[in-house]
Amino acid sequence: MKGIDALDKAVLQRLKDGGFYSGTKLADDLGVSRATIWKHVRRLEALGVDIVAWPGKGYRLTAPIEWLNETLILEALSPKARGLMGVLECHAVIDSTNSKLMRSLEANMPTGSVCLAEYQTAGRGRIGRSWVAPFGANVCLSLLWRFQEPAEVAGLSLAVGVILIRALSSLGLLGVSLKWPNDLLVGGAKLGGILMEMSGEAHGPSGVVIGIGINRQLPKKMMKEIDQPVIDLHSLFKGAIPGRNLLISTLLNHLLPLLEQYPNEGLSPYLDEWRSFHAHQGQAATLEVGDRRVAGRIVDINQEGLLLFEDEEGALKAYASGDVRLRPGNR
Amino acid sequence: MDIRKIKKLIDMIGESDVAEIEIHEGEESVRISRQSTIAPQPIAYAQAPIAPTPVAAPVVDAKKGEADPLTGHIVRSPMVGTFYRSSTPGAKVFVELGQRVEAGETLCIIEAMKILNQIEADVSGKITKILVDNSQPVEYNQPLFVIE
Repeated sequence: MKGIDALDKAVLQRLKDGGFYSGTKLADDLGVSRATIWKHVRRLEALGVDIVAWPGKGYRLTAPIEWLNETLILEALSPKARGLMGVLECHAVIDSTNSKLMRSLEANMPTGSVCLAEYQTAGRGRIGRSWVAPFGANVCLSLLWRFQEPAEVAGLSLAVGVILIRALSSLGLLGVSLKWPNDLLVGGAKLGGILMEMSGEAHGPSGVVIGIGINRQLPKKMMKEIDQPVIDLHSLFKGAIPGRNLLISTLLNHLLPLLEQYPNEGLSPYLDEWRSFHAHQGQAATLEVGDRRVAGRIVDINQEGLLLFEDEEGALKAYASGDVRLRPGNR
Repeated sequence: MDIRKIKKLIDMIGESDVAEIEIHEGEESVRISRQSTIAPQPIAYAQAPIAPTPVAAPVVDAKKGEADPLTGHIVRSPMVGTFYRSSTPGAKVFVELGQRVEAGETLCIIEAMKILNQIEADVSGKITKILVDNSQPVEYNQPLFVIE
């Protein structure tokens, strides 16, 4: 684990079962002063670790931490996925797992490499949007895949959305829907997001990094800070939530074979399924494209995965880019 | 016929001197001709409406590309999407007008279907024109930069 110091980790290790530990006890156990413990607790809080301090009782984690564990992840991989996986990296703190793999693209990191982090200091969404997740509770996963040329990647972002829903349903979670192109929603609230980045020549080999963020357990105060309705697996599974490492392995078991197949089969085998998961078919919405806004109705997607949107004059156009916002009164 | 194969063909023809090509594969056939004065529009990426009306790109950009013949090396958009000059709003732009760039350096990002595509310079030289404004939609093959 890189990015947090030994004492941060030791404090978390003591607290990880979710019980109360007094500052004095922690200080004695770890051979430091109570002030030092306090300082480290504050630092962990800044990383999004949900620590409660009760006068007279001490510190307590609101949710036990299941550390990222490379061995557990590898053990739960299917033979197929294991054969397709490149390097597996687990970081404690990193700027962004996507940024890390984008930097590794030039460093000849093998296809199928995976980067995971307990915490991201600069998690990103679409241009200009950030992605927040507390320390040690969610899934921040990025996967690097090399394609022969950019055309092979067309529509992949929608196929990845479908595959993630399949992965979640294999764990028993049903009712996940998609907002174009690939946000994961449950009951209109955001469960997860996918951000893909690619680099390379216009007509040559392309490196693609697929970043996946899934809200596994979000502290209430963090939920309030996010500017849209959000939901986490913890509330959906009502406590009987799959382990974090198992969740990651399950995602990879579905994702890696998809990526291997994608240059041959493309988006078409996933279109019907995508449509069946579409949360907003036929709904009134505003589409924000750059600094333009178009009011109208979400009609469908086309064969290439572009959004078919009808404006208020009744003109139907296919959009490659844009942010869909439902208009009030819709739901 | 695989739509990506067709796109590949269009790209290849766009870079060649061939005026027209017709290919038969089983019962399907496709004919690609470069007689049109505008840049080739592959089916796979066209942001065009279902009905054959003009593409949704801003009129200004289309005019700019046609009226003022560009000299030097033109970097074109490999896809339909939204053009961004920096990785986040307010961040430093990847390249400024007049700046020298090396081949392989990132010039801009084009976002399509939540895929951020870093467009790299394919030649080294000086950026003499930036033809699209930040966060504007771009069409396939639309000129983005001129490098001389």
